[in-house]
Amino acid sequence: MTQVSPSVGLNPASRGRLKIERRVNPKASWTFSMYILATVVGLGLTALLLLTSGADVIKAFSALFNGAFGSQKAILATLAKSTPLILTGLATVVAFRAQVWSIGQEGQVYSGAMGAYFGCLIFAGLPAWLYISLVVLSGMIGGALLGGLAAYLKDRFDVNEIISTVMMNYLIVFLLSYLLGGGPWTEVSTTVVYQQTGPVPSASELPHILGSSKLHLGFILALVSAVICYILLEKTPLGYEIRAMGFNPIALAYRGTNIGRTVILVMAISGAIAGLAGVSEIFGTSHRLRADTLYGLGYTGIIIGMIGGLRPLGTVVAGIVFGGLASGALYMKLLAQVPAALVPAMQGILLLTFLCAGVAARYKLVRVNTDG
Amino acid sequence: MGELFQETIIVSILAGMVRIMTPILFAAIGELVTQRAGIWNMGVEGTMLMGAFTAYIAVTATGSIWFAVLAAMLAGMLVGLLTAFMTATMRVDHFITGLGINLLVSGLTLYWFRIYIKGRAQPTFDGFDNVPIPILSSIPYLGEILFTQRALTYVAFLSVPAVWFLLYKTRWGLELRCLGENPKALDIKGLSVVRRQYTAVLIGSTMTGLGGGFLLLGFSDRFLADITAGRGWLAVVAIIAGNWMPRGVLAAVMVFALLESVATHVQVLGLGVPHQIFLALPYLASILLLMGLRRKSGEPLRLGIPYFR
Repeated sequence: MTQVSPSVGLNPASRGRLKIERRVNPKASWTFSMYILATVVGLGLTALLLLTSGADVIKAFSALFNGAFGSQKAILATLAKSTPLILTGLATVVAFRAQVWSIGQEGQVYSGAMGAYFGCLIFAGLPAWLYISLVVLSGMIGGALLGGLAAYLKDRFDVNEIISTVMMNYLIVFLLSYLLGGGPWTEVSTTVVYQQTGPVPSASELPHILGSSKLHLGFILALVSAVICYILLEKTPLGYEIRAMGFNPIALAYRGTNIGRTVILVMAISGAIAGLAGVSEIFGTSHRLRADTLYGLGYTGIIIGMIGGLRPLGTVVAGIVFGGLASGALYMKLLAQVPAALVPAMQGILLLTFLCAGVAARYKLVRVNTDG
Repeated sequence: MGELFQETIIVSILAGMVRIMTPILFAAIGELVTQRAGIWNMGVEGTMLMGAFTAYIAVTATGSIWFAVLAAMLAGMLVGLLTAFMTATMRVDHFITGLGINLLVSGLTLYWFRIYIKGRAQPTFDGFDNVPIPILSSIPYLGEILFTQRALTYVAFLSVPAVWFLLYKTRWGLELRCLGENPKALDIKGLSVVRRQYTAVLIGSTMTGLGGGFLLLGFSDRFLADITAGRGWLAVVAIIAGNWMPRGVLAAVMVFALLESVATHVQVLGLGVPHQIFLALPYLASILLLMGLRRKSGEPLRLGIPYFR
């Protein structure tokens, strides 16, 4: 590991030495090439990881790619997998752009799914379109409440949002585990407890689209959410405040903005989007509430939002790529005998290389004189 | 409930508390050193998980439990090296780095674990035995609670005064604490900031790795995905709740461990309440502790802020 540090000159004997300087305006082409480099390095490290398992690297990568984008059916399955990931990615974008380091997306997916399940029980019997809308809405409220709670704790009690959201991620899983395993939502009529509810009413299921048996309305909702996030962040006063909070919260406070209120709003919006991911997974794909199908969606969303450059469009692209990885992993497991767990490992590697690239893009090495 | 039964339960809960404290204490005291140097390591959970996983591979492959402990420390150190590279050299935001480390380790360990157990029954191992301290262990109650524990538990408790001494009574500790308050002062004196940041992160991560190793070897006979289950995060909370002082950290760790120990005894107590409530207690307590906290005087001034000359 080479240590490039401003305090250590590379060659102290010479008069010039290297110093890191911030680029005032990084060129788009430079930034872009850094991210290409990050992708290449990330894939290279993943290949090394494949070698540790003794797998055929080429075979594994091509199986992964074909499983993800190899046919029309595969692409539709990929889009279905990417739906909740795009949503948790967008939830990350909204929070992180405001410098609110929430990792509660994971828990908000669960609380969103729980809110929607509650909704599908109490609104049963309403006209179809109204019923589905209310189910989706109650899911978003479920996510927003959990997100808003973390923000309230930060504003009122100065509780670090990373820690409170992590703890809530654990707490919500315990709550769900209680509700599904012996509590009121446990599937009846079976003697074994499966940690799941019975099937949701078919009227509450999100309809499939494009003639696919996997892709559902949730994908449209994810794309609409991306557009709304873009408009929210770039074209509204609230978006201005969110971005300004990232740059200079003190100036914003002098301008008369109630920072605490904005943070609560940001977290509620972020939570609502993450909650939508839970709704989409339960009512679009698994059709019953269970914990294991929701696991990891929120954490993957953080990686997707970061790699998407904390921009809605980038997040949609990253979400589809990562959905492809998740979808192709099964194919890879079958053809190349590589554990599907390669994908989360690969995602972690890519996140770190992208973080380094993001820093490298903002700085340059310059030679300076050390006289005097 | 008989009186004798009650006594046995209370002693068992307290002895359990001391054992449960061990891994969190290693991580919290180690990361206290890191945080006092101004590096806010949010990757404690991942570092601990890597320690636990490496210990599992080492102990099942070699059969040597002490080799596994060493391997866990080494694994923690390597994760620490990555953390230090990202925070001290690349100056990536400390929070983001920590999140990245956690996600990376969670994925890596799961992948390697699946490869390791592919096509065979998951190997198990014999964990640590108790090492009673002569004479002291025969004190009524106290002997069973404090002095009939695993060898590493004693080490964890001894590490608290050791770290206190290092931080407050040595020149090295003074410089390290200065790093968290005013790194420029060190820089101006010509003392290397980056090198000290690396040292601080490596100390914390090695101890966290050790904690992860103990978590596996002291409580389990096999590895499970995400076996650390938030204990690394509890260590971070303990540092904040303990106001960045060794004895405060010790007290906070004790609270978490007591709650977890009570949870493991719920079946015996037979309270007729959903057991999830008790499992949730340490996590709930950590939020409540942070809510009630008004004293943050010990927080290093430059904690979590990358240093640019």
